[in-house]
Amino acid sequence: MRRTLAIIAMVVMMVSMIGVAAMAYEKTGPRVDEIIMPIIKEQQARLIAFERGDSVVIPGLTAAAEIAKVKGLPNAAVNMNYGYHMFYMCFNMRKDPFNAQVVRQAVAHIVDRDNIIRTLFAGNMLPLSSFVPQASPFYKSDVPVYPYNPTKAKQLLDAAGYVVGKDGKRIDPTTGKTMREVKFYTPTYEVAATSAEIGRIIVEAMNAIGIPAKHEPMDFNVMLDKLDVADFDMFALAWSLSRNPDFLYDFFHSSQDVEAGYNRPGTHDAQLDKALEKLYTPVDLKTAKAAADASQLILARLMPYVPLYSRPYIDGFRKDVVKGWVSMNGFGAANYNNIWTTLNIERVSGTGGTIRWMLTEEPKNLNPVTASQAYEWEVLGRVAPMGGLRQIDPVTGEDIPWMAKSWEIGQWQVSPGKFGTLITWNLRDDIKWSDGVPFTSADVKFTLEYLRDNKAPRYLSATQNIVKVETPDKYTAKVYFSNTSYWNIDKADYCGLPQHIWKDVKDYKAFEPWKEAHPTVAGMTKLVGLGPFVLKEYKVGEYVRMIKNVNYFALPTK
Amino acid sequence: MGFRNYLLKRLGYALLVLFIILSLNFLLFRIMPGDAVSMIMDPKFDLATKEELRSQFGIDQPIGTQYIKYLKSLLSFDMGRSFNTRRLVWDELKERLPNTLTLFFASFITTAAVGISLGVFAAARRGTFAENFVTGAGLFAYAVPGFFIQLMLLMIFGYYWPILPIRGTMSAPPPPGAMAQFLDRLWHLILPAGSLMVISFGSWALYTRNTMLEALGQDYIMTARAKGLDKKTVLYKHALRSVLPPILTLIFMSLPGAVTGAVITETIFSWFGVGKYLIDAVMQQDYPAAQGAFYLIALSVIVSNLLADLAYGLVDPRIRVGGGAK
Repeated sequence: MRRTLAIIAMVVMMVSMIGVAAMAYEKTGPRVDEIIMPIIKEQQARLIAFERGDSVVIPGLTAAAEIAKVKGLPNAAVNMNYGYHMFYMCFNMRKDPFNAQVVRQAVAHIVDRDNIIRTLFAGNMLPLSSFVPQASPFYKSDVPVYPYNPTKAKQLLDAAGYVVGKDGKRIDPTTGKTMREVKFYTPTYEVAATSAEIGRIIVEAMNAIGIPAKHEPMDFNVMLDKLDVADFDMFALAWSLSRNPDFLYDFFHSSQDVEAGYNRPGTHDAQLDKALEKLYTPVDLKTAKAAADASQLILARLMPYVPLYSRPYIDGFRKDVVKGWVSMNGFGAANYNNIWTTLNIERVSGTGGTIRWMLTEEPKNLNPVTASQAYEWEVLGRVAPMGGLRQIDPVTGEDIPWMAKSWEIGQWQVSPGKFGTLITWNLRDDIKWSDGVPFTSADVKFTLEYLRDNKAPRYLSATQNIVKVETPDKYTAKVYFSNTSYWNIDKADYCGLPQHIWKDVKDYKAFEPWKEAHPTVAGMTKLVGLGPFVLKEYKVGEYVRMIKNVNYFALPTK
Repeated sequence: MGFRNYLLKRLGYALLVLFIILSLNFLLFRIMPGDAVSMIMDPKFDLATKEELRSQFGIDQPIGTQYIKYLKSLLSFDMGRSFNTRRLVWDELKERLPNTLTLFFASFITTAAVGISLGVFAAARRGTFAENFVTGAGLFAYAVPGFFIQLMLLMIFGYYWPILPIRGTMSAPPPPGAMAQFLDRLWHLILPAGSLMVISFGSWALYTRNTMLEALGQDYIMTARAKGLDKKTVLYKHALRSVLPPILTLIFMSLPGAVTGAVITETIFSWFGVGKYLIDAVMQQDYPAAQGAFYLIALSVIVSNLLADLAYGLVDPRIRVGGGAK
């Protein structure tokens, strides 16, 4: 009873900490003149720096001790948001015993998420039972889940004929023989201690209800190789997902059950395929939502995965020094994707001045075409973001106009009988690049075509279906796709390469814009962007310094 | 055998060893399961995108072709581009080397000076409290995990008595003026270099003490004492001189550490060096970056070995090549 109460209290406390984005925010900014980002890699040093005031923002807290320490500081505020992370357990549905739906459902009932989160993560994770993360506007809250209930698990197996034999192991009703021992793969304790421990806990619970199972921690790469050829019974891994649920198609559509494909469980279900096809290429938002709902309901029945937990975004702020950060589900308060904090954060003493915001790793590459690490985007996202024609409303999670005043999603005829998506952007006419050059539809066209023609890997899947981009006037861009999908709107939202800088860049891989002097503006580099800040200095290994972009279109004075 | 022949032979061996190391360096990464692309687990990276990336990285080519390209490029010191950052590996290494060398030499010089001095000091006072203290302190520093000592020092001087910086090689931003910046860098060096000295002096002190004690028991020391030479002359001119060759070996074999860096120290003190770069490259299967870093390490080991061989002859006439035979 006491344990149950403790778990309830913990879950209530965690959920109550989730930012509801009710805090006031403005769509203008920035409110500070300068952000200095010292690079501090070691966790203990980060905590000391935060306590000393060497940095007033400590983003992306993950370790339990670190979170507890920051929570305990009287002058610190901790902000928590749902993220898009999913830790899950996957079954191989191609062979016994997990080709039987009832076995998968029974195993889903023996996963004690609350206990796992409490004992392994000190309560700093959020239980996850859905296939679409709670942060997504496409999350369906009334999808049936499988609460922890070992008795129910046994009843399900008993009712399906999986009776317990003399040795305590269940008999497979289809063969009349004892169920074979299944292997549960996880990374090793050395690489991912909690993942390995979860494997051990679940295997113990499976054996307790009579499903013979063995935990096999293994080298991560060896494990990936085995998963690529479907040589497994069950495994546990994590995904970093996105707001749009089209990833469900990659994970569960039968066409993706190929070697090295992402349909690792081997899901083959005609009804699900149909729903996922609608989800992959919806013509509009309404169709997308309906398809997402249908897919989630079918997946809850099939249970190819058992979602276990989601890592929230937890960020610390020195509330005696700064205010104005904005809570935002999906990205957290201190992530570069949350433009609202970048615009609204200010010193308690008033607007202007400098704030220090730590970086936890080196931003090695500040070329927006090739940068791939989150630490790089922590800088680039504030200086030279690649998108931003729309933004996400931090309260509703919906798209709202930003550098585009509005947009239309339509169709065009690719060839007789074949239609593709046509996205029309209506741009604001008061936007300038950070070097003062006006931003026009020609820049949108240039960016999309440059990324497509150079086959930049990071943008390949986004741009490969773009047929052409037309600019009927300076502030209208029409993007033509060869396929029909509502999700193409995200693929059309790239505009961050200034044509006047990048048109002469022949080898995008070799270009280091942050190191080359701007051709006309003294003191600037070729890292010209549309963000609220300008890169002032990047001292490799030490710090990044950004100053307010005086040409930013959303400055408070405008 | 003359010195020239000896030198050529040693150089030949060195090149052979370098070739073998480079070949292993190439093979080891490729026989490991997975590759740089397989590590990218993102539903947005479909199979076609992964294939495109493999093609751009050149890892879709036959292994023989990759090997020949690899050897050719290394001979011209072209280490290629990092898979992760798409930047030239040599550029990335060049950015880190000065920091690694600064930290290494600062810690190396202080460690060797403190360790050897304490070793000689302890050997000259055998059976006294001073010897027991040096031996005990040396064993303690040797036995306690280095990262623990460093974290303790970080807590003491960064938090409880915050007189030293806790990260990097300079303030962010550094103070104006060349002298102020020089002093700022020295100030930032104290904690990482000092902590490395605390961690490492023990093995130097114990090694020096043991070899010195062995030397002090030799007949020629007794002869020197019988001749009436003063204690200092016996200790430094006779005993210490005779143990210099093994100590020199220790010194030269420590030099490759200048390139490998102190990975844990670099992480704890956010020191931008080669060691952390190498670890990150291996973990992310970034072949060009890891191969480039290992290439540098292999070169430094081989050069250090050569230097050690040559230095022997300088400090010990018995080893001087060709000298004894004539």
